[in-house]
Amino acid sequence: MYRHIHALQQVARRTISSSVRRQLDNKVQNKQKLFQEDNGIPVHLKGGVSDALLYRTTMMLTVVGAGYVVYELVKAAFPRNKT
Amino acid sequence: MAHQAHAYHMVDPSPWPLTGAISALLMTSGLATWFVYKTTTLLFLGTTLLLLTMFQWWRLIIRESTFQGHHTTPVQKGLRYGMVLFITSEVFFFIGFFWAFYHSSLAPAIELGGLWPPTGITPLDPFEVPLLNTAVPLASGVTVTWAHHSIMEGARKPALQSLTLTVLLGLYFTALQAMEYYEAPFTLADGVYGCTFFVATGFHGLHVIIGTTFSMVCLLPHTHYHFTSNHHFGFDAAAWYWHFVAVVWLFLYISIYWWGS
Repeated sequence: MYRHIHALQQVARRTISSSVRRQLDNKVQNKQKLFQEDNGIPVHLKGGVSDALLYRTTMMLTVVGAGYVVYELVKAAFPRNKT
Repeated sequence: MAHQAHAYHMVDPSPWPLTGAISALLMTSGLATWFVYKTTTLLFLGTTLLLLTMFQWWRLIIRESTFQGHHTTPVQKGLRYGMVLFITSEVFFFIGFFWAFYHSSLAPAIELGGLWPPTGITPLDPFEVPLLNTAVPLASGVTVTWAHHSIMEGARKPALQSLTLTVLLGLYFTALQAMEYYEAPFTLADGVYGCTFFVATGFHGLHVIIGTTFSMVCLLPHTHYHFTSNHHFGFDAAAWYWHFVAVVWLFLYISIYWWGS
């Protein structure tokens, strides 16, 4: 009976360790090749489309946010309640 | 492609300093609008922008260093100086709060009853939870040193385990402090005792959260094989910051919790 448990343990260990190895391989060299490509793209956009999407979202929030602050400041500085 | 004739890093222009500055503006004005008008839109927007900036800026640094190789020895030296100077500025930040505490507690005003702790204040017992909260950062100092040695020896799994333990200890400290804050018999509004206690320990708690986050973020590059045994400055910076946070706690414990009771 213990041989079965031992065999199961071996299988589980091998499966887990092999799946971990598949997920967390050393991909540094691939990334190095991607980011050292001589294509003139700045580093913050060099990773691909998701970079550009995230950048655009962030910039949009920045502009909208800055505008909103100015609006709130003007509102606070010139109160509209005339009683 | 032009090649530079020096070892320094001339960075590509990036938008993150701008977005970071705007997020600071949004967060501070957001705090003001929250206090005055009870609206949290600006604050929420500012925090989101801050998180986006932090993610993209630090991702950028990883790309420039690990993937593009810009962090040569002179560049790394500059980064080390930078981190040391930053931590030094934080030390002075805390010196201010310790100054305030000692100013009020060494010569207690007559309005406090002429004694410290002031009349009516029941201080926390320094040998209960605060003592546990001293053992925790000391232990995490050991685990972060263990992680450092593991990284230097190329021992991947022990490094992962010890770094995770460090993060867990940091979270444990935060949880314990939160519980203490909830159970404390005095509040921030309880005169100069409450003020000095909660401002000093509160800012320390914030720094613990920052340090824990920094260490947690280090887990990512580590699992992706970014750290080498002799080049892992991100981790070094996190470890220095963590030791600083632990040392501040020791001073807090001895001054405010122990001597101040």
